Amino acid sequence: MKEVEITVLNRAGLHTRPAATLVKLSAKFKCDLQLIRDGFPINAKSIIGVMTLAAEQGCKLMLRADGSDEEDAVAEISKLFESGFGEI
Amino acid sequence: MVEDFNLKVPSVQRYSIKTSEQKIYKGIPSSSGIMIGRAVVIQPESIIIPEHTLQAEQIDDEIKRFNSALDAYKNDLNRVIANVKNDEANLSAIIESNVLMLEDPSLTMPIENNIKSGYTAESSIVSAIDKLKSFFKTTKDAILQERIFELDNIKKGLLATLRNQCFYYAVAKDAIVIAKSLTPTDVINFRDAGVKAFVTEIGGIASHSSILARSFELPEVIGVLNSTDNIKDGDYVIVDGYTGQVIVNPTSRILESFQRKKSAEEEHKRELGEIINLNTETLDGKRCHLYANVDLPEEARAAFLWGAEGIGLFRSESLIVSLGYFPSEREQFDFYKQLSDTAYPKELTIRAFDVGSDKWAEGLPTREDNPALGFRGIRFLLTRKDLFKIQIRAILRASINKNIRFMLPMISSVQELQTAHSIIADVKNELDLADIAYDTQMPIGIMIETPAAVLLAEDLAKYADFFSIGTNDLTQYTVAADRTNDLVSNVFDTFNPAVIRLIKMAIDAAKANNIPIGICGEFAGHAASTAILIGLGIDELSVAPPILLETKNRIRSLNYAEANEIANQTLACSTSSEISNILDKIITE
Repeated sequence: MKEVEITVLNRAGLHTRPAATLVKLSAKFKCDLQLIRDGFPINAKSIIGVMTLAAEQGCKLMLRADGSDEEDAVAEISKLFESGFGEI
Repeated sequence: MVEDFNLKVPSVQRYSIKTSEQKIYKGIPSSSGIMIGRAVVIQPESIIIPEHTLQAEQIDDEIKRFNSALDAYKNDLNRVIANVKNDEANLSAIIESNVLMLEDPSLTMPIENNIKSGYTAESSIVSAIDKLKSFFKTTKDAILQERIFELDNIKKGLLATLRNQCFYYAVAKDAIVIAKSLTPTDVINFRDAGVKAFVTEIGGIASHSSILARSFELPEVIGVLNSTDNIKDGDYVIVDGYTGQVIVNPTSRILESFQRKKSAEEEHKRELGEIINLNTETLDGKRCHLYANVDLPEEARAAFLWGAEGIGLFRSESLIVSLGYFPSEREQFDFYKQLSDTAYPKELTIRAFDVGSDKWAEGLPTREDNPALGFRGIRFLLTRKDLFKIQIRAILRASINKNIRFMLPMISSVQELQTAHSIIADVKNELDLADIAYDTQMPIGIMIETPAAVLLAEDLAKYADFFSIGTNDLTQYTVAADRTNDLVSNVFDTFNPAVIRLIKMAIDAAKANNIPIGICGEFAGHAASTAILIGLGIDELSVAPPILLETKNRIRSLNYAEANEIANQTLACSTSSEISNILDKIITE
């Protein structure tokens, strides 16, 4: 299992389009992926789950990956967050 | 049932002996053309009774019914995504997220569980989605409204699919749709079903659904109050997308006159094909340039087939919208160069990324209260110099054909233009140092779309190689009415004399400084406004490709001296209804 802290950088937060991008990326990995905000975990492969996060700009989330490709998943998802979903 | 509807279509003969009273309603013409047919009135969705329960043996079938509606709705959305392009491309991201929701077990499992507990598919959907909504309500989040809105959309879509199972849009075949309002999805689906024309109660001529209706060449009249109450299913209706008249149960005399008008229109379309290679000039020889607004190379090719003299507006943000991210220098260069090659030797006007307001942010609310008044256009570019420089570099490198013009959006001060120039000069220096070729004389112009830019036009002209008026934004900022807000769509009036006078001021400033001035908003292609714009002395009109020939034909049938007189008359008007009266006369002539 692997855990890293990630920050929402894009101004508009994790709104519909980034949420969709995140879910599509997460779905590519075999490992279990969770995003945890204030102790509440959600499934990063579920758009409804990501929508309930209501993550605004500056919000810090824990990304937890568990499975064979957890390293790649953490790297790529962190990169997506760092790029601000192309909205910075 | 569809056939049954067809049987109800009255023939002309039958109609002439019918006694229903003729009624004429007036709306706003938003997509030109005349159509005659029977009405299909689209009623708001029926009420669901959540308490209704199933017998145990019905449950399996009900789950099947839900799953088939789920698949049908997903297919519908995917079909819409495939049809969305250009201006509407940002919508596809939203629709895509809706598809993801429909595939998400967090949504579908609770619905199936409800059905297993004995509730109908409809009530299961309503209670499962409302439960999700209530969960969002407990989060303290500014994006909340968007979430609730998306979930409501999904709910409505699923319910409509269940109710209609592919029948809904099909009722529009060969019919005239009467609706309260239309979404872009509706317009596309009705088009696929073979609709003839649209009449709506609410809407704006610059709304996405109206833009779609125009690009599909489907006549549309909007703003016809209470039309879904006043017009009944099966009524015989004439829609006149030129004047905004909707005539219900016409007398045989009126019907014949419109049938003549319609055949004349069809004849006219054939004749239009013959003017493709002729100059865009008035009867008395005043030349004007007719350009096209495009977002894609394929569109540009179509525009040139229809005789466009250049590309007056390429909205570069369409790249961001279709890719979903800011494109790299390489990606941008490839795209701009391809477009420049397609246009060569004709001119290509590339507008710098205009993200914000209705384009980037539509359905993707940023945290701004007023995105239209917010962080967009040149404001964004000057703040994000890194992104701006990448775009400038890509455009300069693509400019070696010497046919590219670069245009800056949302200018509201001279400083903004000066700062942009110094950034462009920096990039040119970098290219010089790296020994990379580019067009050193590439014209740099600005959009005139804020009242401030008009009032400063004389000063701005000293730093700009050309002006291009964006009428939609100029109108929105002049009358202070958000053009995406239906509640103020009656205030959003491009024929408000204030807007016409501002256009005149901008043209005069351009003339005084010897720079060309064009117009690229919806207004440029509006049937009634061509005479005014030509009369005011505009140099370039840039319109959507489907209306190039119509616009050229209108210019070719104008007399500049007369157009000038009309323009002067409209400048003297103090109300938009006076202007409408003048224009009504031109249209009916």
